[in-house]
Amino acid sequence: MRYPRTLMSRKKSNNVPAIALTGTAGFVGSSLLRELEKDPKYSRIIAIDYRKPPFETVKTKFYRMDLTETLADSKLLEIFEKENVQTVVHAAFPVSPPHDLSWAHELVSVGTMYVMDACAARKIKKLIIASTTEVYGAHATNPNFLSEDHPMRGGFKSRFLRDKIEVEVQAQKFAKKHPETVVTILRPCTTLGPNVRNYKTNFLQSPVIITVMGFDPLFQFVHEEDVIRAFKMAIDRDFPGVFNIVGDGVLPLSKVLKLAGKVTIPVPAPVLYPVVQLLWYGNVVPAPPSRLDFLKYLSVADGAKAKKVMNFVPRHSTKETLLSFIGAQRLREINLLEAT
Amino acid sequence: MANQNKKEEGKVVHLKPVPPAEKATPAFEDLIEKLEGRIDRIEKEFRETVHKIEKRDTGKPPLSQNDLSSLIGRLEERIQIVSDEIRSGRLFSDGRKTVAFTEILQRIAKLLSFDAYRDFLKELWFGRPEENYDVDEFGMDPTFIQKVKPLFDFLYYNYWRVSVEGLLHIPNEGRGLIVANHSGTLPYDGSMIGAAVVNEHPSRKDVRFLVEDFVYHFPFLGTFMYRIGGVRACPENAERLLAKDHLVTVFPEGIKGIGKHYKNRYRLQRFGRGGFIKLALRTNSPVIPTAVIGAEEIHPLIYKSTILARPLGIPYIPVTPTLPLLGPLGLIPLPSKWTVVFGEPIVFGPKYGPKDADDQLLVNRLSEMVRMKIQDMVTETLKKRRSIWFG
Repeated sequence: MRYPRTLMSRKKSNNVPAIALTGTAGFVGSSLLRELEKDPKYSRIIAIDYRKPPFETVKTKFYRMDLTETLADSKLLEIFEKENVQTVVHAAFPVSPPHDLSWAHELVSVGTMYVMDACAARKIKKLIIASTTEVYGAHATNPNFLSEDHPMRGGFKSRFLRDKIEVEVQAQKFAKKHPETVVTILRPCTTLGPNVRNYKTNFLQSPVIITVMGFDPLFQFVHEEDVIRAFKMAIDRDFPGVFNIVGDGVLPLSKVLKLAGKVTIPVPAPVLYPVVQLLWYGNVVPAPPSRLDFLKYLSVADGAKAKKVMNFVPRHSTKETLLSFIGAQRLREINLLEAT
Repeated sequence: MANQNKKEEGKVVHLKPVPPAEKATPAFEDLIEKLEGRIDRIEKEFRETVHKIEKRDTGKPPLSQNDLSSLIGRLEERIQIVSDEIRSGRLFSDGRKTVAFTEILQRIAKLLSFDAYRDFLKELWFGRPEENYDVDEFGMDPTFIQKVKPLFDFLYYNYWRVSVEGLLHIPNEGRGLIVANHSGTLPYDGSMIGAAVVNEHPSRKDVRFLVEDFVYHFPFLGTFMYRIGGVRACPENAERLLAKDHLVTVFPEGIKGIGKHYKNRYRLQRFGRGGFIKLALRTNSPVIPTAVIGAEEIHPLIYKSTILARPLGIPYIPVTPTLPLLGPLGLIPLPSKWTVVFGEPIVFGPKYGPKDADDQLLVNRLSEMVRMKIQDMVTETLKKRRSIWFG
């Protein structure tokens, strides 16, 4: 037994405030759960997901539930009250663009509504929401560095991103209505690293990569460790507001692909969009054509606010993050590293 | 209303020129002194580092002798390059003219050879071994600039034979907003102002220019602009650049200026909504009014079609004596003689501060004042000009 004392206290009383995590089968949820398991400061953790966490847990109590089912809010409230939940980390979102958009809408937008209803009824102390810098969208009219108060324009073409923006709007409304709750929204940019899997790692894994001819936007990456550290910081201390979580520096797409040693095939945009649409229907490419805008236009966020307010300084720059991802990838290819 | 008028009367606008401190002997002596100081410091640092390595008290894993000798090697290489450039006259403008010309000839000759294509394919397939992968945070790529610089130098020295006046008005260090008239159908003037500062000024190498939005919708063009140091024109970007003490070139006339008919040449259009004044007030940067003469004649615009341009997402399709007629050859600009005149910097502080950026009336007044100043500079320089092609 690694944590005998905390186990004892758990059995004794439910009065110790607990942290609830949603989406503990996903990358952010599971990594955060692992971090919290290690931290002796937190004695009770509640994991909520429809799949079990991918590893053995000691301090965690797992509740199997689906946020898309009806009356999920009442069930959540029941859990929150029974376990004396004071902090909620809401990370039950698909990271990659899903094929089933109506399911995604139920989970992302309506699921968040349920979580917030339960939080409001319980009057919890802290709510942390995982978002993404994709909500800004990629536009030719973006400034080079998007600050947190820049309008979220990602939803023009993509219904999925529209749902993600909806989540943020709901959270901001919630923060206004319940000033006693600390609401933190973290927007990490493209997360790379040895362990994370999302549609962008899939994109960077394929040996031949199709790019939009004549466009070479700047890319920005953040290391998975940095993302989890930022979430941990937001749990440990109170930082109300929205924060971009990004690595320092930028790299043009062409140099990203050169560093990764990929063969690129530039295709003119008018041809590429319908082709990718067909390939998306055929489940060949990892993202729908609306995401091609991110290969065309700039979408780089400014991490200055997180640095100033949260004192969050990324340990890995954009380039280091990419290199660590590529390194792990190469080891995996020659079977020196376990596949995730 | 009356109250406001009164308040406005109280604020008589005074142009406060920067005191011309370095008029008699230019800043070169200071610069040489500074350079010597820096060399001294580098030497001292070197000795200290070696000492530390000997004592092994750096705290970090010690530098090896090999690292140090390779560092010295690199240093020697750089000094060699500079001294070669000085001896061959490449660092002086007369020498650079011939160098620019021969370099462009060499490039053309190389394009006609088989080796160029072999190297190109090789590079495409294997990548360049010593490629520097870093761009700055706005996407400027120094290696790319080194590649295209001969072309711009050729345009600067040999094609448009740019002559520069009032270079002393460019501050040796610190931020500055270069405000210039926009002309020429295609935006060559921004790069030529940049080249004027980089080529002629002894210490400034960091001129950035703001580029209209529509450029970034285009394949190749937007990427090209980013790599050579252009930045999309929006207040956030400009503020960030100025906060980092860059020189920033802006053309407040925008599309109206660059796409005006030939009959309206050298007549400055409306200066937007005074965004550049707000920028200067907020960042407390001096405004350097600048006149560009000669760019109006490179593509004399006879007619422009806005209806045909709309589906393409560009502001207009230009018709010049050469453009649709000669096909792609029409894109070659005419070789007029250019003059770039930098005026005395206008400093708004401490009389006006960041708070005044919200006073739209004042902003418009200051903007109009700068416009008139540039218009005066343009007319004055035009009076002195005898010929469009020979200056």
